[in-house]
Amino acid sequence: MSNLVYNEMLKIVRKKRLWVIVAIVAVLVALFTYAQYKRVQEMQERLGTTDWRTQLQQQIIDAQNRLNSSSISDEWRKYLQIRLKQQQYYLEHDINPSAPGAPTFMRMFIENAIDLFLPLLVMVVAADLVSSEASGGTIKLLLTRPVKRGAVLLSKYIALLLSISFILLTVAFLSYFISGAVFGYEGWRLPLLTGFVAQGEELNTANVHMLPQWKYVLIELGLAWFVCIVVGTLTFMLSVLVRSTAAVMGIMLAALISGAILSNMVSSWHSAKYLFMVNLRLTDYISGTAPPIEGMTLGFSMTVLAVWGLAALAISFIVFTKRDIY
Amino acid sequence: MTKQATLIVENLRKTIRRKEIIKGISFELKEGEVFGFLGPNGAGKTTTIRMLVGLIKPTAGRISICGYDLERQFTEAIRHIGCIVENPELYPYLSGWENLEHFARMVRDIPKERIVEVVELVGLQNRIHDRVSTYSLGMRQRLGIAQALLGKPKVLILDEPTNGLDPVGIREMRGFIRFLAETEGLSVLVSSHLLSEIQLMCDRVAIMAKGTLLRVDTVEHLLKEQARVAWKVEPLEMAKAILAAETSIFRIDGDTLITPYEPKKLSVWNKKLVEAGVAVHEIQPKLPTLEDLFIELTGGETIE
Amino acid sequence: MRRGIVSTITIVSVLAGILWISGLAMTIQDQFFSTAMPPADTTKYTKEKKADSREIYIVALGDSLTRGTGDESGKGYVGYMVDQLRKKTTKPIRVTNLAIKGQRSDGLLKQLGQTEIQRQLKLANIVVMTIGGNDLFQGGEALRLTPKQIEQAKDSYLRNLDRIFQTIRRVNKDAVVFYIGLYNPFSDLGDAKKTSAIVRQWNFASAETAARYPNIIAVPTFDLFALHVNDYLYSDHFHPNKDGYKRIGERVASLITFTEGDKK
Repeated sequence: MSNLVYNEMLKIVRKKRLWVIVAIVAVLVALFTYAQYKRVQEMQERLGTTDWRTQLQQQIIDAQNRLNSSSISDEWRKYLQIRLKQQQYYLEHDINPSAPGAPTFMRMFIENAIDLFLPLLVMVVAADLVSSEASGGTIKLLLTRPVKRGAVLLSKYIALLLSISFILLTVAFLSYFISGAVFGYEGWRLPLLTGFVAQGEELNTANVHMLPQWKYVLIELGLAWFVCIVVGTLTFMLSVLVRSTAAVMGIMLAALISGAILSNMVSSWHSAKYLFMVNLRLTDYISGTAPPIEGMTLGFSMTVLAVWGLAALAISFIVFTKRDIY
Repeated sequence: MTKQATLIVENLRKTIRRKEIIKGISFELKEGEVFGFLGPNGAGKTTTIRMLVGLIKPTAGRISICGYDLERQFTEAIRHIGCIVENPELYPYLSGWENLEHFARMVRDIPKERIVEVVELVGLQNRIHDRVSTYSLGMRQRLGIAQALLGKPKVLILDEPTNGLDPVGIREMRGFIRFLAETEGLSVLVSSHLLSEIQLMCDRVAIMAKGTLLRVDTVEHLLKEQARVAWKVEPLEMAKAILAAETSIFRIDGDTLITPYEPKKLSVWNKKLVEAGVAVHEIQPKLPTLEDLFIELTGGETIE
Repeated sequence: MRRGIVSTITIVSVLAGILWISGLAMTIQDQFFSTAMPPADTTKYTKEKKADSREIYIVALGDSLTRGTGDESGKGYVGYMVDQLRKKTTKPIRVTNLAIKGQRSDGLLKQLGQTEIQRQLKLANIVVMTIGGNDLFQGGEALRLTPKQIEQAKDSYLRNLDRIFQTIRRVNKDAVVFYIGLYNPFSDLGDAKKTSAIVRQWNFASAETAARYPNIIAVPTFDLFALHVNDYLYSDHFHPNKDGYKRIGERVASLITFTEGDKK
């Protein structure tokens, strides 16, 4: 098996997929670092202070003012309300949720990338893992070796898991080192709060507890990894089912983007919570942002994602081992 | 001398969407022979070959390779097969060497020396470390064969091995295939829709059409039966009646009747025709070719 | 060499995978099985820096008037006031605007209870505020309220206002507080007499409340809008426009004086 996995890793590496991903991440992180830097500067200019409490207070006031204008959607209102209460909680406990520093940037980057950017990177690797062998015809050589089909597919899946781990490491590494050049590399032991539960427009703080940032970041990376694996598995399944890599990409992209759109407007369509794409923002449960549909929790979302992932994996293996190759 | 059968196919069938594509075929491959698989496009050659290498599961029937059942003992059975199905598609972004290493890693116990060996066998030493995307079709074909030979197979299955090769390449390939069979003792199954090719390199031929095997025999046998005589006669109908009484008439080509070639009876038949007042313009023995046999067997002229 | 790269990436990936799995395990442990340990509720500003004596720190409190609703430049009276002050002093001026649109006296009172707001307040040299407009007019509803209802609104408003001033004074003993009074946006309408009377009484009572505390100054604006009210009102016929805010800002600025050394 290790030989097979090595083969698959060789192919992924030699297709230069991983380098493309490293380059994309580097460019994007640099871009976001600059944007964040500009934002911090603008904030300081506007408020004339570097005191985070004043800044946070101002954000609260801004949110309150927005809440009081009538032309605001219910979803947005709820979101603002929850965030506002959370910000107030942070203020009251004298904890700065956005103290500048590379770890903070990392955390925010992961939170923003988890539902679209990271899955996209995973797709770059996963989409053609099987379909390229089918469209290139090499599948015929691959399956006429004295190796069971299941083992061939398993080696590909393991290679996918490894690639996902590698991609996430790249993201963590680059976001830390690139942003650190601007914001400094400190802040691993900064305390953060987790355990907020959004209930309607209220924020339940009964389970709130403190986490050092390093732990917080590690938790978020673990969740991001989980999400990436589920998305990767689904892409993998499509890659088995569909010969054309472009079609795999198209279907997955449509699903992910529709998920991002749906999350903003499904609060009244309750059964939508069983769709995998509205459950991708797992880090929101850690930071305490209101879920898109009421009643969704971390456990629920993880279960939904796990079920989708396992189903996709089962379908992949059944189809791949049974299918006739023409 | 009895040579062992390396590949046995028994009553192989494949039904796809309720349509029977392969309608029960059986044949055997013996050690050291080149077996031709001949048939027009769509006859079911490729489907059969894919079943032989495990890419397609047969609906019914049995394939056994060196005594191992392909379905139940897949890894043991497939270990003895080397194949190229259709085009030799390899990973273009890897070098020839890396491709071979890649496939070698999928089989247990293939030392580096074996890779060197097959590379020399197919004569790719000079370009083996270049990327496959820079190879010509002939080189890819050779790399494909190198890949097929890696695991020291007993049976080599080549689907249209001369497809896309230039005449020199085709001749080289032919020589190479004969070499493998004669010197290395491999059973080689070669499919082709080119009769001339099969005729030149195969010991035995199976003729396939519409999912059935029409004939399986040695090339000599097939050709022997194949000798024909063309009679250019007038009037045609009368001649036909006379000859039909004596022998069988295969077909009528315009004003020409085709009958089997039986040298000793030719003069007798001719006499009868002349006596009956038929004008015999021409009696021409036809050179035996597989093409004629093939056209006859596959019903090239009759419309079903 | 090439083999080395693939092996290295594979090994790195395996290690990374182990790291992420541990992160995931930590998530599950932390989110599902940990007992909540809420952080201590008491806020301690250990390294509290006293307001820089070199700068003037202005905190603005209240409702949409302090926000500057209706002024397309977004400055509001606070902005124009600062413009004026900048002409008068060499000291740097810093402003924090904590006003919330539509806020009423009870809302402001609640807001003042927040730790961070109190901290800001504590640092302030000058506090400017508007409140009561929404208590009284309730978005124009006032015109239809019965005298009794208005009386009730006024009572609760005055109670709140008193507690607001009290809180401000408790948090910050020294800052000068400018309480900006109401004007009558309806003074050109038919029942101007009636509405003006209500606003006047309201202002009077507010000023009385302010007078109970040291250094809380009630700044009238009623007179500023008494004539040609429409020239100074925004299209919503309720909030001031740019010119209206300018007048308020200039009036407040004129009340602020500086010590000799800080003058320009």
